[in-house]
Amino acid sequence: MFGKIAGFELRYQLKSPVFWVVSVIFFLLTFGVTTISEIKIGLGPSDHRNGPYALAQSHLIFSLFYMFVTTAFVSNVVVRDDETGFGPILRATRLTRFDYLYGRFLGAFAAAAISFLAVPLAVFLGSMMPWVDSELLGPNRLDAYVFAYVVLALPSLLLTSAMFFALATVTRSMMWTYVGVIAFMVLWIIASIALGKPEFEQAAALWEPLGTAAYSLVTKYWTAVERNALIPPVAGALLFNRILALVASAGFLTLAFFLFRFQSAELSGARIGKREAAPSEKDAPPPAPAARVVPRFDRTWAWAQLMARTRLDMGQVFKSPAYFVLLAVGLVNCAGALWFATEVGAYGGSIRPLTRMLLQPLAGSFSLIPMIIAIYYAGELVWRERDRKTHEIIDAAPVADWAFVAPKVAAIALVLLSTLAVSVLAAIVSQLAHGYTNLELDKYLLWYLLPQAVDWILLAVLAVFLQAVVGHKFIGWGLMVIYIVATLTFVNLGFEHNLYNYGGVPQVLTSDMNRLGRFWIGAWWFRLYWSAFAVGLVVLTYALWRRGTETRLWPRVRRLPSRLTGKAGLTFTLAAAVFIAAGGFIYINTNVWNVYRTRIDNEKWQADYEKTLLRFENTPQPKITAIKLDVDLHPHDQRVDTKGVYTLENRGGEILKEIHVRFDRDLKVRGLSIEGARSKQTFDRFNYRIFAFDTPMKPGERRMMSFITERAQRGFRNSGDDTRVVGNGTFINNTEIAPSLGMSREGLLQDRAKRRKYGLPPERRIAKLGDIPSRQFNGLRHDADFVSSDITVTTEGDQTPVAPGYKVSDFTWHQSDRLKGPVDGAGDRRTARFVSEAPILPYMSIQSARYAVAHDRYKGVDLAIYYDPHHPWNIERMKTGMKASLDYYQANFSPYQFRQLRFQEFPGYADFAQAFANTIPWSENLFFIANYDDPEKIDMVTYVGAHEIGHQWWAHQVIGADQQGSTMLVETFAQYSALMVMKRMYGEAQIRKFLKFELNRYLRARGGDPLEEQPLARVENQPYIHYNKGSLVMYRLQHEVGEETVNRALRKLIAAHAFKGAPYPTSLDFLAALRAEVPADRQTLITDLFEKITLYDLKTKTATTRKLPDGRFETVLTVEARKLYAQGRGQETAAPLDEVMDVGLFTMEPGKKGFGNDKVLAFERRRIRSGTQTLTFVTKVAPKVAGVDPYNIVIDRNGDDNIAKVTMR
Amino acid sequence: MLIIENLTHVYANGVKALDEVSLTIPAGMYGLLGPNGAGKSTLMRTIATLQAPTSGYIRFGDIDVLKSPDLLRRTLGYLPQDFGVYPRVSAYDMLDHMAVLKGIARPKERKDVVESLLHQVNLWDARKKAIAGFSGGMRQRFGIAQALIGDPRLIIVDEPTAGLDPEERNRFLNLLAEIGENVVVILSTHIVEDVSDLCPAMAIICNGRIVKEGAPRDLVGQLSGRIWRKVIDKAELEAAKAEHQVISTRLLGGRTVIHVLADQDPGNGFTPVEGGLEDVYFSTLSNTRRAA
Repeated sequence: MFGKIAGFELRYQLKSPVFWVVSVIFFLLTFGVTTISEIKIGLGPSDHRNGPYALAQSHLIFSLFYMFVTTAFVSNVVVRDDETGFGPILRATRLTRFDYLYGRFLGAFAAAAISFLAVPLAVFLGSMMPWVDSELLGPNRLDAYVFAYVVLALPSLLLTSAMFFALATVTRSMMWTYVGVIAFMVLWIIASIALGKPEFEQAAALWEPLGTAAYSLVTKYWTAVERNALIPPVAGALLFNRILALVASAGFLTLAFFLFRFQSAELSGARIGKREAAPSEKDAPPPAPAARVVPRFDRTWAWAQLMARTRLDMGQVFKSPAYFVLLAVGLVNCAGALWFATEVGAYGGSIRPLTRMLLQPLAGSFSLIPMIIAIYYAGELVWRERDRKTHEIIDAAPVADWAFVAPKVAAIALVLLSTLAVSVLAAIVSQLAHGYTNLELDKYLLWYLLPQAVDWILLAVLAVFLQAVVGHKFIGWGLMVIYIVATLTFVNLGFEHNLYNYGGVPQVLTSDMNRLGRFWIGAWWFRLYWSAFAVGLVVLTYALWRRGTETRLWPRVRRLPSRLTGKAGLTFTLAAAVFIAAGGFIYINTNVWNVYRTRIDNEKWQADYEKTLLRFENTPQPKITAIKLDVDLHPHDQRVDTKGVYTLENRGGEILKEIHVRFDRDLKVRGLSIEGARSKQTFDRFNYRIFAFDTPMKPGERRMMSFITERAQRGFRNSGDDTRVVGNGTFINNTEIAPSLGMSREGLLQDRAKRRKYGLPPERRIAKLGDIPSRQFNGLRHDADFVSSDITVTTEGDQTPVAPGYKVSDFTWHQSDRLKGPVDGAGDRRTARFVSEAPILPYMSIQSARYAVAHDRYKGVDLAIYYDPHHPWNIERMKTGMKASLDYYQANFSPYQFRQLRFQEFPGYADFAQAFANTIPWSENLFFIANYDDPEKIDMVTYVGAHEIGHQWWAHQVIGADQQGSTMLVETFAQYSALMVMKRMYGEAQIRKFLKFELNRYLRARGGDPLEEQPLARVENQPYIHYNKGSLVMYRLQHEVGEETVNRALRKLIAAHAFKGAPYPTSLDFLAALRAEVPADRQTLITDLFEKITLYDLKTKTATTRKLPDGRFETVLTVEARKLYAQGRGQETAAPLDEVMDVGLFTMEPGKKGFGNDKVLAFERRRIRSGTQTLTFVTKVAPKVAGVDPYNIVIDRNGDDNIAKVTMR
Repeated sequence: MLIIENLTHVYANGVKALDEVSLTIPAGMYGLLGPNGAGKSTLMRTIATLQAPTSGYIRFGDIDVLKSPDLLRRTLGYLPQDFGVYPRVSAYDMLDHMAVLKGIARPKERKDVVESLLHQVNLWDARKKAIAGFSGGMRQRFGIAQALIGDPRLIIVDEPTAGLDPEERNRFLNLLAEIGENVVVILSTHIVEDVSDLCPAMAIICNGRIVKEGAPRDLVGQLSGRIWRKVIDKAELEAAKAEHQVISTRLLGGRTVIHVLADQDPGNGFTPVEGGLEDVYFSTLSNTRRAA
């Protein structure tokens, strides 16, 4: 019986359209991920699309989304009989509850499992497709497919099937089951984000039921080679997790058995029975029969009708339980996002809950809800009369068709608005909960509520239109899902213009400094354009409205013309006129005044740029020795006019016959003249010019070059409006307004797959460490060494201009009366001139904003902080950090070369801080708004400030040659400098927290490196190496050989190379200086740290203690240790380990709150060798935890097992 | 007066639900009798402007119904065969809502209308209850209340008594009987008693065609002396059917009572009976089926 029922169910499901539709959809999705290189789901650039890792990812991700499908299969089993009314007949047979329930469940689950085979099938077939880049494919391995399907996907499919099967047996309702699915999905996403922190990963791996966390824990530090070759053993957390999924499935199935009522829903529903015992109320006497009331079909009636319908439609949404569930889920989700919105900044820093900083997480986390509401309720409302079978009554009433359509659109619009308003309330509550009261309601309204409402209403209108056209609610919903997927895909395929992406608007960037700038203008033009289109859709919806019992589309289309007369036609025509007019104006802005470029256009340009010009890379060029700029800023017009003069010198040994001048791609060149040279060739498309010298430039000869440029944006763009020259908070650097000499590799296409696509070699690596010719150039620019600068900046009268150098003049004047010159006080233009004294790098920032300025003097240096008056909180902390940094660096490295040190805030269109000579711009998103109410938080303001100030030495004094290892001399040393400042200020405990972040980031990033990992001394501008690994290496170095030893080596480097220009130093110069300072037995350490990729695996297997007769405690640790050397792509070989390491005994786990030196019982350096060994200690007090390298100073992929709990013997 | 001419409706799947239907329906109660699937509801829905016929013409007074459905809707009361309700909406609120739609926009007037109708259909005490929880009879009474809003001149009730117990059925028919005589009321049903109890005029529809039309009394009169009755055993039924035009069979105390249609006494134990409307109905159906 059981088998027959299961078989019948399976055949039934296999015949259902759901099965085929779903199989096809998931086949196509997977096929797309496999074969289209633009689509990457959870994959790194070198991961094989059919490799074990990619297979695992696709199975994990799709089995998550499959919960919608499995639910359709299994809940259908329960709900079907009630819906069709066939249930009573079936239940009257001799069928047992067990056979009925589980037989059917098994059949339905089998159908779901078979349908999911579309995923591996699509990967397999996709890997055969000829257009897939062969670099992205590996061999198809049966074991990888079996692992992904059987171990990862099947248990998860079973779990979601069982879970929602149980829910369906309880609710007997498809809708409630789906509400449950959505709730589960949203909660799963929230939990994944909330528990995504390293400290929870172990717990998440065990208990996250779908296996994603377990798999990612096993693979988190895998390199590309490992990802493409390894299948993790089904053991440990993964095994536990999969068994958990099976056990939970069994639990849910058992639950379903007991919850299942073996009779129809109606008979068992006690609620309905109660309601039927209706009439009882005798509250008011029946009224007397009324006088005859004659209907009047007038304006009042039309209006009342509209209101009544809208009210009814809204009520149907607001009062539906599903709405509350959706809203609750959305609020929970955005509560999570809002809570974590202040936890930004790496290393566990936190910021103040400014309104602006909440809006983005709010929009991001909540937007799923209005989207679901718009799509779901469009279907519900359009089809409601039919679903509720009230359509015959209502449709036969004298209601105009527009009085059906308009209220439904209005109802959804109002529902969306109020839903968004609720999310605003949530944000405000979270601000108040943080004790923050500057609510800035105008920002909520204008930056979030209105634009979001319009965008979602546009979506709702489309959904209503589709629902009105198609013959079934599910088709309408399906079309909307396809539409959403299509819009995401189109952008990837180069169809980016918002003129044809329904509802598309350019991104509007926000800033407290510059508010909405001019970004909102384009967005609202597009909103006008699409709103007009939506009005047209509403009119068409009206004209095609399904009334009465006719549901076919064709008869409705036939009467369309006759219905588009009168007011409807007029509205349609007006909407069309606005649509066309707005579209025309937009087109002029985006395609005539500005250039419309897609991502693919840009890639093509980059590829052609490289193909055309890279051959000039080694053409010898003169070097710039002095830069004079006259920068005329017009922030409100988004324009900057620049006049400049370079002094050039031939510093090479050859005679130069030509000079190559390269301008930023969109910079307009108004004039260019080079002493003794004339134009020879111009590459307009690349803004690249070649001039030939009439008389060649001899070695040592100097010449002048002058230029006039204009950088401006007129109107708005389809995307990427200029963020550099803006109303308040202009921040531009010299390469954006002034030329460079010769061709460089800056801005070339990086992505390997794309490079191959355009016929370029997959990678261009920089010169090898030790290369001689590249020592003539620094890592920043090839066309200059250290230079002198003279920058004049003119801006609005009420703004403060800032540029590197000392201010020699600063005055305001009237534009209308230019000749009169400076005026006292309030002119409408302000001009300031900045001149360098010490030589600086040709890397200059020009900023202008309405700043407040905080000044301080410290040991002969003028400290200044230029900040937005709204962000005054951390100024004192910045000053303290400046002083501490200057003190440490001047004492340990060399004197500071400038008399001033300045921080300037810039709008949050970018998130970085950057070090220019004595001038350090900081994003308003980061440290100006950091929050230090919790003293446990790492002081990121001081840290980042110290790092950037460190660059005044490590870049602005010593800069590396343009070859491997270059960024080590700049970024790694700046990291080290900052760490030492922090160590001084906060002690080692804080630094250890910090290093934990660095270790995790370094290990995670290794796997995703598209090139290959290099040892630190050969770093090729790889951030995870020069920042994250750099911190770890330098910290361990100073821990092992002493801070002063390291600083001595650094001082030697400065003494030999500061301000010297070519030939530039390399990492070898530093290593030589270092090796000279350290004893012979530490030389291997330096090799391991800088010249190899070295990994350790330290583990305290057991720690036991016993009380000695004298009352003290003897503790024995069993320690396992090994050392590995890794190749660039991840292959590892074991190396003998024989090093002295820290071993510690504690009464509390290091890093926990409250840990301090008083918790340390013993801390010794002991020799650790490869293999297992025992270490013995005697202490006065019994230790609680103990272990080797307890502070995680060495690079170890599992730092948690370095220490172990001590057991009493 | 409602005039229907040559109304034909063919569904997308090829089923011809109405086939050249022509009817002239005067003021007063008009019964439309037919078996399940005869095309009654299609005809009702077509008159109620809910679907457009394939061809034909409908006029009510001076309204061309197919050209100006909106004008007809302003004077139409329609109780569909099967209707649902919005969840969580009370009888009062729903009637109030329907009143707005039917042109009673002023709140005061609407209150009067709604309250008086609730009273009229005896739902006053249940007015605050959700209609979703109503019994079948209450639901039909609510249905007629909403159809009566705004004094319609054309009222269509489609199978209103199906599934009602005898008491509720009586109560419902009484409500219909109270409707004014100047109003066209079309009562579509497959229950003969509904028509015989209420309607001075009627038509019988079968397979999409009007097969008989007239006053029930006249139609019964036409059968006078042509209906014969006999009580037989179940086993004899097939033989009787082969020999006579059996228009109805009914069980009585374990045996079968048959009525046959014959101009002369068929003899063989048949006794003449006074024909009722039921015999008219069954003989008409029988004739139609024999013709088919």
